[in-house]
Amino acid sequence: MKKIISSVFLLSLIALSTPLASQCNSENFANACIPKLATGFNFLKSYKVDGEGGSKEKVEYSYVFTKGTQYMINLCANGAATDGIVVTLFDSGRNKVATSKINGQFISAIAYPCNATGIYYIQYTFDGGGGKCGGSALGFKR
Amino acid sequence: MKSVIIALAATLLLVACGKTKKPDEQAFLNSLDSAKKGPTIDEAVINSILEQIPSPLEISVLLKESGTKYNYSLLNSPDNLSKYNSNFKKAINLGVYGTDLGYTNIYQQNKDGIKYLASIKSLANELNIGQFFDIETIGRLATNSKNLDSLLLITTQNFNSINHYLQTQGRANLSVLLLTGGWLEAMQITCQVASKNPKSKELREKIGEQKIILEQIVLLFGFYKEDENMASLLKDLTDLKAAFDKIKITYTYKESSMEVVNGVAVIKDNSTTTIDITDADVQNISSITNSIRTKIAN
Repeated sequence: MKKIISSVFLLSLIALSTPLASQCNSENFANACIPKLATGFNFLKSYKVDGEGGSKEKVEYSYVFTKGTQYMINLCANGAATDGIVVTLFDSGRNKVATSKINGQFISAIAYPCNATGIYYIQYTFDGGGGKCGGSALGFKR
Repeated sequence: MKSVIIALAATLLLVACGKTKKPDEQAFLNSLDSAKKGPTIDEAVINSILEQIPSPLEISVLLKESGTKYNYSLLNSPDNLSKYNSNFKKAINLGVYGTDLGYTNIYQQNKDGIKYLASIKSLANELNIGQFFDIETIGRLATNSKNLDSLLLITTQNFNSINHYLQTQGRANLSVLLLTGGWLEAMQITCQVASKNPKSKELREKIGEQKIILEQIVLLFGFYKEDENMASLLKDLTDLKAAFDKIKITYTYKESSMEVVNGVAVIKDNSTTTIDITDADVQNISSITNSIRTKIAN
């Protein structure tokens, strides 16, 4: 009897702890990204980037960027690098404007001096076998 | 064995308790009066549109950096607080005051900023979202001009948290009002400044490009036509949109180039927009904006 109860207790603990261990705390990454915006940039938004363990191919947000303003989008994930997360910026016509993967190199921030006002799509994708979990912050300066 | 069973029961109880709503959340849900539950609509669509609305802070920074002097008389008086008796008025004027606070912060007019803080805290409390507004920290930061960056950061974070909370609680209608109030106030300030600087191409274009944002706002209000207050404001916003429809925005896409500088991908944007807006358009837009702003602030 004692063995059965102990087994049930252990299984309960495993069942409760397993999802927690694989959970993506993208909010923490997003918050950690805010102070990493370069000097002079005012914080606008933080974005959670959760690929839900691979079930999501991309995470997308949108924002109206305005001409004459410089924007910065940075990336935070496990470790110093971006853990395979790539941010790509598209204009309202879905034309690619910028990407953080340049010549195979993962860059952790994009500076975008906007020359054309409009709705832009900020798309996060997962390249390679990283944790598919991270965060990002958007800032601006004139 | 008894202790093992008790431990197991306690673990399961703790897990179950974690899934109940916090008391403040419940109080918030119970307290909403005329702000009826929104219609059965795709909240994800609404939230994605809400995310697009730019921060009014961008306009305040533009005004300051273009050399425009601080003008308190352009703002909605924090003393108007007592006039806001419905959740509709409270939410929209919370947005208005948020823009005014941002404006006073950018110009480092801390004395005025403190007055707006008090009114904001009051409205936020009445809407049961006061827990997201850290007035003590903001008040402390506002007393020292060296804290400007932290002050702007924390106020932006607080407003983002409020919007996020409202959206996750299925109360995106209040979030729509908050953001619309903020946008209208930024429009009002820009139009008033532009009327004193009629030759400023930058200000005229800034007004013209708001066409893109207004289109999104009108789209959002379309989801809440059943609400009497929102339907009335939608009518006014539609009139404003008609004035904006005369403005032509031409976008030309040209592939951008980029280079990595100190670990940052620096983009050279080769696309352009041109905004065709006449003096008459600016005057018409200013007049309608002023009329809507007067209506919501009084």
